[in-house]
Amino acid sequence: MIMNEFWLDKPQLKEPRLTLRSAEFRKGREQAWQRLDEIVERVEKESISVLSAEEAQELPMLYSAAMSSLSIARTIVLDRNLLLYLENLTLRAYLIVYGPRYGISLCLRKFFQRDFPRSVRKMSLHLLTALAALLVGIAAGYAFVRSDINNFHLLVSEQLAKGRGAASTASDLRNIIFSPWPGFVSTFIEFASFLFQHNTMVGIFSFGLGFMLGIPTFALLAYNGLVLGAFAALYAEHSLTVEFIGWLSIHGVTEILAILLCGAAGLVVAEKVLFPGSLPRLESLALHGREAASVAAGSISLFFIAGILEGGFRQLIDYTLLRYAFALMTAFLWFYYFGFAGKGNNYGDAD
Amino acid sequence: MATRIDRAGELIEGMKRKRKELFTPEGVPLDIQIAGHGERLTAFIIDMVFMIAVIYGLYLILLMLLFSRTGLVSFKIGMTIILFIAFIVRNLYFLHFELAWQGRTPGKRICSLRVISRAGGELSPSAVVARNLTREVEIFLPLGLFLSIDAESAALGKVALLGWAAALTVLPLFNREHLRAGDLIGGTQVIALPKRVLLGDLTEQRMSHRTVALPKNYIFTHEQLAIYGNFELQVLEEILRRPANVENVNLLTVVCVKICRKIGWDEPVPPEDTRRFLNDFYAAERANLERSQLFGNVREDKSTALKR
Repeated sequence: MIMNEFWLDKPQLKEPRLTLRSAEFRKGREQAWQRLDEIVERVEKESISVLSAEEAQELPMLYSAAMSSLSIARTIVLDRNLLLYLENLTLRAYLIVYGPRYGISLCLRKFFQRDFPRSVRKMSLHLLTALAALLVGIAAGYAFVRSDINNFHLLVSEQLAKGRGAASTASDLRNIIFSPWPGFVSTFIEFASFLFQHNTMVGIFSFGLGFMLGIPTFALLAYNGLVLGAFAALYAEHSLTVEFIGWLSIHGVTEILAILLCGAAGLVVAEKVLFPGSLPRLESLALHGREAASVAAGSISLFFIAGILEGGFRQLIDYTLLRYAFALMTAFLWFYYFGFAGKGNNYGDAD
Repeated sequence: MATRIDRAGELIEGMKRKRKELFTPEGVPLDIQIAGHGERLTAFIIDMVFMIAVIYGLYLILLMLLFSRTGLVSFKIGMTIILFIAFIVRNLYFLHFELAWQGRTPGKRICSLRVISRAGGELSPSAVVARNLTREVEIFLPLGLFLSIDAESAALGKVALLGWAAALTVLPLFNREHLRAGDLIGGTQVIALPKRVLLGDLTEQRMSHRTVALPKNYIFTHEQLAIYGNFELQVLEEILRRPANVENVNLLTVVCVKICRKIGWDEPVPPEDTRRFLNDFYAAERANLERSQLFGNVREDKSTALKR
């Protein structure tokens, strides 16, 4: 029997010893892997902030050591357990080393001070398209109901109409517009909360449905316009147009803006699905989709404000002139915020 | 690189996940395993259960407050607050956990899944927002539509809308990386990342177990070691690493007999020596294959010829 050459004869030993390159390789590096494993495990359990200054300094070094171990191991090691362990460890470490660097609060501040208005400015064309869809809806709804007041019931569900309709008299309608304030709890808490939830769902849908080529987004925008137009026509029938617009615009400026933002975000997604431009479709979608989604998420805060305005302030302010002034003020604030906020402040980022 | 496909694992665990390479700034591509549909569904259901449990917990607290005599809150305000919190929980549950736990919700954590950025690099907050806002349309909208359809009001329009919405829901079944619409928009993807433990080296174990009384190592010839390839070596490793129960000891005996026949080992291996024999064979075979791999001669398995 031929003596296998891997059994190195060492004269001082009674029997031959086997040396494996991979076992030697492992011996020298194992401790660093275990240390990295410990750190990764702790970060995974809690967060990156649990690390001490030394550990945070150690992490990237251990990580790149593990990376180079991995690339060597792939060529010289056949121990399956070791290979899989290293693949797993480096991937977990990679996700931490290149993981999120900011806490939630800095993220939020960055978003509202800079990214949100910037992203909105970028999609102004989509915003105008969404506005056009809404206006078409309003015009159609208005014309349809003006031609025959009974058409109102075709457009507006009983749930939304709340008893208003062709049979309503001018004083019925006036009473809704100038109803007495029902008190803090019922308005600021109950009604506002309901409105916020309802509107947010509409907003999220008009964004999410953008993925279906934008058709449902257009439909949703136009439908909202139809309902609005129908109501306008109903009030116009009793020559209450001016009062109606005042009543509506207190929150309407904010709410319609938020719906338009969500719609515009949906249209961005739709556009990138249909016309990806110079990038591959998936990359283009990922790049713009993220921005669009953050606009949709940001407009949820607008819905929140609109809910409070609609639930509370609308009945609190009951002079038409004051209502117009208030609406103008909100319009100006939003215009200023989306038009000019976040220019220049870069938070040390490159772009 | 062919050696990185874990064929031994696929054979033994009987599970085949799709794989993809992730390119790192260090220039070493990392292997990622794309999460399966079943795993993702399981994680989602677990999350839903948690969410519903939280919301019902709130209802219980409200009821307790109402029935306690203090009358701290009126029913209406309590209800509103609960509805509001339920709304927040529903919308922020996934967002919060995916941001705070590096792309893992409790359900994903239990199933060892994780959301990562498809392009590599940081999983940005906007990506998490994007993939979770879309969830509303992908899952909750069709679910709501489905629940709202009953035999009487099954209007054609509603069914058509449900069909359209459901088409979006089943999107992950129709692409290679199992992406749902939210993943497409957010540029994310869900991977399976179970934690692995580093076990001892089998060749080292052999050394440490050796006591003075033990007989010499089994020694194999070149010809005997030239029969098997990497795949068989790793399957043998997997079998040797199994705990020593009756079933596995029997398996070792079967494997031992097979190997002896294949390599032409004539001496009988005593039953109590089976493990030691296989361990020695494993060590010698690994040394042999690793050495020839170092010289660029990779042998995938016993049926492929040596690559030069």
